Amino acid sequence: MSTPAAAPAQAPSTGTRAMELHFEVHVLYANEARYLDGDRFGDWLDLFTEDLVYWAPTRTNRLRRQQRLSVSAPGGAAFFDETKDSLAWRVRRFESGMAWAEDPPSRTRHLITNLLVRPAEEDEAVEQGVSEETAREHAHYVAETGFLVYRNRLEHEVDLYSGGRTDLLRREADGSLRVARRTILLEQNVLLAKNISTFF
Amino acid sequence: MVKPPADTVMCVTCGAQTHRAARTGNTSEETVTITEPPAGRSWRAHSPPSADAGAYLDIERGVIDRRIWKDEGLYQQELRRVFAPSWLFLAHESQLPKPGDFFTTYMGEDPVVVVRGKDRTVRAFLNTCRHRGMRLCRADAGTTRNFTCSYHGWGYDLSGNLVNVPNAEAYPDHFDTADWGLREVARVQNHRGLVFGTWNPEAPDLIEALGDMAWYMDAFLDRDPEGTEVVDGVTKWVLEGNWKLAAEQFASDWYHVNMAHASALMVMSPTGKGPKTEIANTPGRQFTSPLGHGAGFPVHPRSRFDDAAVHEHYDYDQLRERLGSARVEGPMTTGHATVFPNFSYLPVNGTIRVWHPKGPDRMEVWTWVLVDKNMPEEVKQAQRRYNLRTFGPSGIFEQDDGENWSEIQAVSRGFVSNRTPLNYQMGLGIHDDHDPDYPGRVGELYSDNAARGFYARWRDLMNTPAWHENHTTPEGDRD
Repeated sequence: MSTPAAAPAQAPSTGTRAMELHFEVHVLYANEARYLDGDRFGDWLDLFTEDLVYWAPTRTNRLRRQQRLSVSAPGGAAFFDETKDSLAWRVRRFESGMAWAEDPPSRTRHLITNLLVRPAEEDEAVEQGVSEETAREHAHYVAETGFLVYRNRLEHEVDLYSGGRTDLLRREADGSLRVARRTILLEQNVLLAKNISTFF
Repeated sequence: MVKPPADTVMCVTCGAQTHRAARTGNTSEETVTITEPPAGRSWRAHSPPSADAGAYLDIERGVIDRRIWKDEGLYQQELRRVFAPSWLFLAHESQLPKPGDFFTTYMGEDPVVVVRGKDRTVRAFLNTCRHRGMRLCRADAGTTRNFTCSYHGWGYDLSGNLVNVPNAEAYPDHFDTADWGLREVARVQNHRGLVFGTWNPEAPDLIEALGDMAWYMDAFLDRDPEGTEVVDGVTKWVLEGNWKLAAEQFASDWYHVNMAHASALMVMSPTGKGPKTEIANTPGRQFTSPLGHGAGFPVHPRSRFDDAAVHEHYDYDQLRERLGSARVEGPMTTGHATVFPNFSYLPVNGTIRVWHPKGPDRMEVWTWVLVDKNMPEEVKQAQRRYNLRTFGPSGIFEQDDGENWSEIQAVSRGFVSNRTPLNYQMGLGIHDDHDPDYPGRVGELYSDNAARGFYARWRDLMNTPAWHENHTTPEGDRD
């Protein structure tokens, strides 16, 4: 599993290429936030590759000596464990006109920050399940961000979802960047919200 | 109309705090005479006045007053008389495979730690140090040799015995560590892997407390001779809403599916336009238990919403042989169920869950994914993914349940709202015949029978002094 703490390399902070990459990814995420907050879930889905793994494991309170167990392992409890198809399934629900948890819709603001991005090694992509051919033919990048999502719903309901994302980004044939892997770690044990009807 | 609540009755046997006053009134250290067991070994404390819960319900007419979801006094009475005496779900045995494995949870609002001892017995203890009341174990789960309080260092072994007291020489001669072990849950029993506990030393055995419900549960728990296990991890979330809103719904409410979950049904139907009429109007049966349990399930063979990989895993002929056709085509499928008071499950989605009460206005939902031990790993994973995509806080079904419960609760603040009775009349007096294929009282799927049964049991427990309120007979404490 890739977590910010386990990231093997530091993101470069100088050089024109590093700055260009940082800027490109920053704009990508700002656009993503705009889609999510603007009810443009179809546009949001287009930001992901076809072989997407989108995963938000749960987090448990463990003693320090058992901290390695504090994030649910792959195959364990999770808030999301999605493919592009299953995300599309979730998005279609919102379009049904009867998804009452978001009808009337909530007001959300996705703040995406603390961006660090660096090129990924070929085997890093393979370790995350990307096929060897794809890993060889496409440049990949590891991008870490923090997020704060504010949800205001109906009259008085307020939820704050704070967390970190680690993405594996892929340079597609058309030159665009898409998200191929996303791991979301919410800073919560008991989720302090009645549901998660948005995405991170 | 619902009758107004009767005047509450004060306890006639003892006055408030008399026991405590008698003991603490004597302040001379040399002459302290402990006339009662040390605090915590006796439950014979004064009970606050109790309300007549029957005043809020008219089960025979099918009307309910929503104050039962809101009133703080009724809530405290629930903790005393519904949660303290009932069998409550603690954990699945697969969470505790080895001696020293522990899991922390709640019984009502009481924190408990469930632990497998060196003798492999699963016990449960109040998760609080006997010295100053600090929460003893603050990890959700793990493995340990003992529990040491992080306040002053009192240490307990896996059987709850006090085995370490720092500076013990400073305590008087009559201080005996045997008196200060952890408060143990009086009875802990296991039904097909599900571990339940009760504080009530006089409680009937778990299997008796389940009654006919066990037959329905086994359609989920006994599909395979190897039994079940849970996927690693518990998904927890908290929402505004009285715990009974959820427990009642899982006991009784197929009715809401077509409307509340219309978007999910639409997404999941092959045409993408929602289920066919014969599925929306599916025939089915609903079980109502005098012990407060309830279960409902369609019997229409095409009313399945299980995951394809899980569906293909099963040999249905073999299942029919094992469980009988009535169970395979009924409670094993797209059913719902509540084991009174706050344990619920959905077989097809593989979810088992507890609705922990957190005050009259809030509940905390804890869910596990239950699979057959014998399933190949990829089938277990298919069940897990199907579960989290449909149920749980992000599930396309359960998102909408959260909205309903929180909004019912939000409305329950108004004076007039709280004096406007709600309708629980579906199926009243119409469909309560027995069905030879199913044990217990069984009627039509679309019915409030099981909700009425749930609330009738709730009312009866609320109006019956629990064992700990019994002043005249010696209590059956663990010591």
